[in-house]
Amino acid sequence: MNRQQADPRKSQGVRRRDVLKAGLAAGVTLSTWPLHQPPALWGAEAGQPKRGGILRVRGIDPPHFDPHLTLNFKTHTTLSFAYSTLVRYRVGADVRPGTFTVEPHLAERWEQPDDTTYVFHLRQGVKCHNKPPLNGRELVADDVQFTYDRFLTEQGNPLRFMLEAVDRVEVVDRYTVKFVLKEPFVWLVNVLANPVGTWIIAPEVVQHFGDLKKPESVIGTGPFLLERYEPNVKTVFKRNPDYFLKDQPYVDGVEWLVLDDPSTGLAMYRTGQIDCGPAGGWSVRQQDLEALKKSHPNLVYQDYLSNVTGAVIYLRTDMPPFNDVRVRRAISMAIDRQGIIEAVYIRGEPTPAIARGATEWSLPIDQLGEGARYYQYDPKEARRLLAEAGFAKGFKAPISTTNGYGPDLLDAVQLVQGYLKDVGIEVEMKLQEYGAYIGTTFLGKFEGLAMGPVSITWEPDSVLYGMYAPDQPRNSGHVNDPKLTAMLKEQRRTKDLEARKQLIFDIQRYVATQQYYVYTNAVMVTGTWQPYVKNYAPNPSFDFGGRAAALWLDR
Amino acid sequence: MRQYVLKRLLLVMPTLLLISIIVFSLIRLIPGDVVVLMFEEKAYAKDLDALRAKLGLDRPLYMQYFSWVGQVLQGNFGESLWTKRPVLEEIARRLPITLELGIMGITVALCLGLPIGVLAAIRQDTLKDYTTRSAAIVGLSVPAFWKATLVIVLPSIWFGWAPPLQFTAFSVNPWQHLSQFILPAIILGIAPGCGIMRLTRALMLEVLRQDYIRTAWSKGMREPRVVVKHALKNAIIPVVTIVGIQIAEIAGGTVIMETIFGLPGMGRFLVDAAFQRDYPVVQGVNLLIATTIVVVNLLVDMTYAYLDPRIRYQ
Repeated sequence: MNRQQADPRKSQGVRRRDVLKAGLAAGVTLSTWPLHQPPALWGAEAGQPKRGGILRVRGIDPPHFDPHLTLNFKTHTTLSFAYSTLVRYRVGADVRPGTFTVEPHLAERWEQPDDTTYVFHLRQGVKCHNKPPLNGRELVADDVQFTYDRFLTEQGNPLRFMLEAVDRVEVVDRYTVKFVLKEPFVWLVNVLANPVGTWIIAPEVVQHFGDLKKPESVIGTGPFLLERYEPNVKTVFKRNPDYFLKDQPYVDGVEWLVLDDPSTGLAMYRTGQIDCGPAGGWSVRQQDLEALKKSHPNLVYQDYLSNVTGAVIYLRTDMPPFNDVRVRRAISMAIDRQGIIEAVYIRGEPTPAIARGATEWSLPIDQLGEGARYYQYDPKEARRLLAEAGFAKGFKAPISTTNGYGPDLLDAVQLVQGYLKDVGIEVEMKLQEYGAYIGTTFLGKFEGLAMGPVSITWEPDSVLYGMYAPDQPRNSGHVNDPKLTAMLKEQRRTKDLEARKQLIFDIQRYVATQQYYVYTNAVMVTGTWQPYVKNYAPNPSFDFGGRAAALWLDR
Repeated sequence: MRQYVLKRLLLVMPTLLLISIIVFSLIRLIPGDVVVLMFEEKAYAKDLDALRAKLGLDRPLYMQYFSWVGQVLQGNFGESLWTKRPVLEEIARRLPITLELGIMGITVALCLGLPIGVLAAIRQDTLKDYTTRSAAIVGLSVPAFWKATLVIVLPSIWFGWAPPLQFTAFSVNPWQHLSQFILPAIILGIAPGCGIMRLTRALMLEVLRQDYIRTAWSKGMREPRVVVKHALKNAIIPVVTIVGIQIAEIAGGTVIMETIFGLPGMGRFLVDAAFQRDYPVVQGVNLLIATTIVVVNLLVDMTYAYLDPRIRYQ
């Protein structure tokens, strides 16, 4: 197999003729762009599917396996191999990273007879894993009802907020289930596709095991069966021969390896002991990227922006001085976002309220209208704004943060300290242990400022409504802006997608002017995989199982 | 000797009691609540209280302590708050890996430290002495995690080779299993080995200058006999004590080695449990580690008494 020809990204020794040809091709392509937009192939070129092989990838050790007792991504990413959802975000090589398009999954279609009712029609003949107590029985509407009843009533489900709009779930017949909402909520289908907590489970399993914490209780309808769990080592999955998507999965199994040490993971990737990148999301850390490209140019690399804003400054907007918009704007203008990117994250992009990696919904900074000027690094203007707000001599405030998200965040906090000091704001770092941070600061129990990440964005509602609606516990900054609240509620009722998109854009523009949260940047992520991994493209979602089922190995 | 052992055993009891109190309290002194962590970002107040009650964490601390100690005395370490698995079962799964690594590490340390220390002493101020002493300084100065990282990273860049980095059970593939432990054990043993080497050298030099050694030489004894039987046996007594301390250090060092070399031992288990505030696990593991160190020190004291009969009468 000639790999150089198979993948143009791996070309070496480019000739002048090749450059001219490429230039001509690019010109032709660009000239036809407005007329025709063929589906981009973001992943490796696919070819004919090939069965067999074991996929060995960097995985994570879950604290336990119950999807309704944690929002920890470690659990949900692991469960993505064994469970399915009613609907899901598309996977495969033609999915552009950062796009999350809902497609049927266990539900083959759905309809919305009125604003508060959704009816889902299930595929027939979907078999559960052939393990006791289910022993391969068919999945039916009762399972869906049981799943969401448990989701909404399970004591301690931290994800309950996702479906607060749901009043009840009813079984219409064996293959039809109805969601009745308390109020219109146009994001329901997207939320059901979020690969976190929405996995369909069966009542017998919960009755048999008491809860779903143990690995033995992982029995779903997903592409892989959990064969073995070795704590701190790996979770081994084997192919589900009865999986409802035709021919999938192509691989015989997956070894989901726990690789805690970055150097160890990188060494394993370099030496072919794992098939995809050793860092989170099967990527390579930016600080290792150039060296890896140099030593292993044959690997496939794909850049994309993250859909998580890793460092956001939270402000107590209900208290002085941060209840003054001039102070908030001054803080935003005192921060050199590009400086933070270059010093800490190496590559990335300044981001508005929706992280730049959520490509369908996030606005570039230059399209934020009036709010864009508050993203400019302008310490002089920041000092002027502070003086106008009555803080010509600056002020002192604490900034709470945690070491639980790794050293990058702490580096960014220290840079922010420096930038704020330059305009007269002395902030003293209050370092919290992760548990304490989650229990206090994250829930809005802090003074002055705080700094940490915000949640992952697949659809824009969770991150906007969660952070800005006054009744939401994730509204760490205590934002209470009637105009904004009205906009947030309005987009939840707007069925027309284009109109809703405009509302989402308007919200981003509005919050950019208000700077309730000072967003810094979205980091650049580089997904990487071995050239023999086909029909795969990275995407920042937890559905690793879906992507693993769709790919094949052409060694 | 029996009285000495009995006295030492009696001293162990209050030590263990104190350890149990420290182990129980320290994890609870760290800010952050396991119940809040379990609910993570979204806490529902009534759920928090209910879960706290369900886990038995709503009772006064002293009641929780006595209940835990009572369980431990019956051989029940409780179950993990997160996974619901019995703590003892989890420990039993991981302890052999840590023990294997620790024993191999201390073996490397002894095999490295004792002979080289003796050699450096009997060849004092020669090239061999200077070389080994310099090497010992390097071995002590370079941290274990750095050595481990270099051992993994450099061959992968230069030769496209890396040591086996995924744990294989002995029953699955004995050779692969052992080969996984060789590198981490060597790295783990280097620093303590260098410490033992330097101490052995210093003590041997002192002993070799004693009158009875001169007498042994003058009687025409051969070098190996003088060095091993007369000098080493007396020089080794403080070394034995140091080895006891080194075992505790090695137990701490296994955490890093286990993380870097992907070994699922107690160290990683303990770190994860501490982050999750899994009280029964942290208490159980710490109690076990502390007890092991107490027992090792007891054995060291007994060895000390065996090697130097004067000690048991003091």
